[in-house]
Amino acid sequence: MRLSSPSILRSAFRDGVIMSLLEVENVSKHFGGVMAVNNVSLTLDQGEIVGLIGPNGAGKSTLFNLISGVIKPDTGAIRFETRDITPTAPDRVCQYGIARTFQLVRPFNQLSPLQNVMVGRVYGSAPAKTMKQARHESEEILSLTGLADKKVRMAGMLGLVDRKRLEIARALATRPKLLLLDEMMTGLNLTEMAAAIALIKGIRDSGITLIVVEHVMKVIMGISDRIIVLNVGEKIADGSPRKVANNRKVIEAYLGEKPLC
Amino acid sequence: MAHWKKLSILTLILALLAIVPLVMELGSNVMNVMVTLFIYIILAQSWNLIGGYTGQVNLGIVAFFGISAMVTHFLWKAGAPIYLAIPTGSLSSVVLAALIGLPTLRLRGMYFAVGTLALAQAAQTIVANIFTRSVSMPGSFSATYSLMPRYYLGLIMVVIAITVVYVITRTKIGLAMVAIRDDEQAAQVTGVRVFKYKVIAFLISGILAGLAGGLYAYVRLSFWQISIVFSPSWTFDALLAVVIGGAGTLAGPVIGSVFLVVISEIFANTLGQAHLILFGLLFILVVIYFPYGLIGSVDRIHQLITRVRK
Amino acid sequence: MNAVIQTILIGIVIGALYGLVGLGFGLIMGVMKFVNIAHGSFIIIGGYIAYWVFTLWGVDPFLSIPAVMFVMFFMGLILYRLVLSPLLKYPRAEMRIDKSLLVTFGVTWILDNVVTMLWTSDTRSIVTAYTGTTFNVFGARLGLTGLIGLVIAVLVAVALQLLLTRTYFGKHVRAATEDSGAASLSGVNVQRTYLISCGIAAAMAGVAGVVIVSCYSIAPSMGLSWLLTAMVVIVLAGEGNIAYMLPAGLILGLIQAISTLFISCAYQQPISLIIFILVLMFKPNGLFARGR
Ligand SMILES: Nc1ncnc2c1ncn2[C@@H]1O[C@H](COP(=O)(O)OP(=O)(O)O)[C@@H](O)[C@H]1O
Ligand SMILES: [Mg+2]
Repeated sequence: MRLSSPSILRSAFRDGVIMSLLEVENVSKHFGGVMAVNNVSLTLDQGEIVGLIGPNGAGKSTLFNLISGVIKPDTGAIRFETRDITPTAPDRVCQYGIARTFQLVRPFNQLSPLQNVMVGRVYGSAPAKTMKQARHESEEILSLTGLADKKVRMAGMLGLVDRKRLEIARALATRPKLLLLDEMMTGLNLTEMAAAIALIKGIRDSGITLIVVEHVMKVIMGISDRIIVLNVGEKIADGSPRKVANNRKVIEAYLGEKPLC
Repeated sequence: MAHWKKLSILTLILALLAIVPLVMELGSNVMNVMVTLFIYIILAQSWNLIGGYTGQVNLGIVAFFGISAMVTHFLWKAGAPIYLAIPTGSLSSVVLAALIGLPTLRLRGMYFAVGTLALAQAAQTIVANIFTRSVSMPGSFSATYSLMPRYYLGLIMVVIAITVVYVITRTKIGLAMVAIRDDEQAAQVTGVRVFKYKVIAFLISGILAGLAGGLYAYVRLSFWQISIVFSPSWTFDALLAVVIGGAGTLAGPVIGSVFLVVISEIFANTLGQAHLILFGLLFILVVIYFPYGLIGSVDRIHQLITRVRK
Repeated sequence: MNAVIQTILIGIVIGALYGLVGLGFGLIMGVMKFVNIAHGSFIIIGGYIAYWVFTLWGVDPFLSIPAVMFVMFFMGLILYRLVLSPLLKYPRAEMRIDKSLLVTFGVTWILDNVVTMLWTSDTRSIVTAYTGTTFNVFGARLGLTGLIGLVIAVLVAVALQLLLTRTYFGKHVRAATEDSGAASLSGVNVQRTYLISCGIAAAMAGVAGVVIVSCYSIAPSMGLSWLLTAMVVIVLAGEGNIAYMLPAGLILGLIQAISTLFISCAYQQPISLIIFILVLMFKPNGLFARGR
């Protein structure tokens, strides 16, 4: 899984100026009595890899749902580049340049891998002009993500690892500026994990900002420029991997789980 | 290569269908069955577009069939030529599709299904309340009645319906449709404007169902009650044809319709209403155990054979 | 003034029936995420059984309720075993819903045709010695059959509520409703819970059918409009809110009864439809949903 031609992944918006790409401001969301996300604020700079961690049920996936517009916050605002995207529908959010994967993989099971990626090329931001062009570019993206030789009729026939790759490929095909990856590495073996890390770095090098949710601490601490920690819906830490790993609150939140690093 | 093979087979079938009635006397029975088959194929393709490709279980497709049949019938009776009456009928289907689709397509799957079912039922009730007497074309029409023009018009409309579905599924719209069917939310976060493409699929499906309804009005000159063109059995037959043949494929609805028409020719006389029950059982079996229909089963057998050969 | 009381009475009597009609449908949908399009046909069949028992042996329809429930309970078991349980192989709720829509549509097709063959497509109703009896309530008239129907609907609703909240079985149902995976891990026999819920749902459809054939009338083609009624009640109550089915039914009944003061009653069904769509658009979690 080597990024031989990162140009295909290059986002349309790219001028090297450091600015905050995403601003989440005092966002809350509850389900019944559960505060899934509680008054969370964060900002994201262009070109970062931010690791988002926290115990199960901390609200990480919910935060992704909020940013991608799948659900609406009860209170608070979300800004992307200069736009307020709080009330924006998910398809628009995607066209503005935010793509995501799902924790439980959801490729289009009855479509071929190529068609899966083509949906992103045709409907994402900076869409392809023609179906022919979309097909061509999608084939490139498939080979970038190591799926070129998976000639199956339906994506549902792929193994779990390949379906995860396919979800990344589909997300990349929308030409995002910001990519949200939700537990991509759960269930991968060491070799696959190494490949996935290389892929993530390649994606970043092509100019895409990432938020990565992972449970494998070694991995997340290794690839992230910055770590944000959620616990029971609240943000309890935000800083460099080293600082976060030594944070008292974070250690408490993880007490009983595996030690950090 | 395979593409050309398919195309030449299709051309051959089409040529046969076009030529045989000219050179051979088929008899009104066979011709009637063929015309019925054409109606089924068009209606099944209509359901296929919204149900098979887009995954929206429309249980009220008969509403579009019925309104077009009704409009066609009355326009034709009022003196409009049939080649104008049928398109106008189809147009009325599209209008109705917009009226029904805009509120219901926003609803979640089961509410959409029951909503469309209920709206179609309401249409039947309303029409039955308005037109209580039997309607028919004037006697001069039945005196000159011939199945030939019906056969050829039907054949042309079948070709149109299949071509429309073929072309749409090859475009950007078709890609959105199948993505929505497989996972609405995943499609949405990949940039697909789900509602918009559902509406498009629904409207085109409405046009096709309207064509089928128009053809039916052209074929059948009298109705003891016009509201029977809204009978839910049309919906059921369309679903049955699509599901048995293979939903979300181009050939599935055609194969399913042929199957259905042939089987009901065999059983309708011997079993009477019981053959409908047989169809119901068949339908349930196919939905549960053969989710890809006859086409899918053939495909699977084909795969098994090639695997064994290797 | 009398007309107003009369209208309200009619609304309450039919509204309670609507609640009863919604219960069985809501139980299956809430517990196993299946949509049973055949619910309306089940109601009609329950009504025909009572009709049959009445015409053959002269058994009072309300006394035949236990027998009808018994028969319908088994029909529910059969529905689950043959048609619904094979769909559990689909992991995603949306897939299950779509598939159950299709298969139960097939079941409806079969049942409606069977019913038409057995009893023809004529409209039937049961006329007993007391059918015409009415009481005077504040100057308005209340039919005896309507009153009995009202009592039965309330009893069934309360019984179901008690069953779900006070018994072991109810605990299992709630566990299976919330998370079937977790429930089966903690020792709940999910399959059996589903099976019995399905039986109960069908039995309740049967009761509704008896009330309908005694107070109003039935025909094979009426299943669909009762299905729609069930759906509207579910939507008003909010999915899975079994406790609110009866109030939701009453609200629907009252709205319909009041609307007949202004609009011809031939348009009841379109009115239900409009309510259905409006509620789904503006209060998608039902009228009784607290907060958001
Ligand atoms: N759609 C939903 N409905 C109800 N509760 C939800 C929903 N989504 C998430 N939750 C709840 O919100 C909390 C946070 O969940 P989630 O964001 O998935 O956590 P994480 O991804 O960090 O494991 C959990 O308690 C979960 O049960
Ligand atoms: Mg999560």
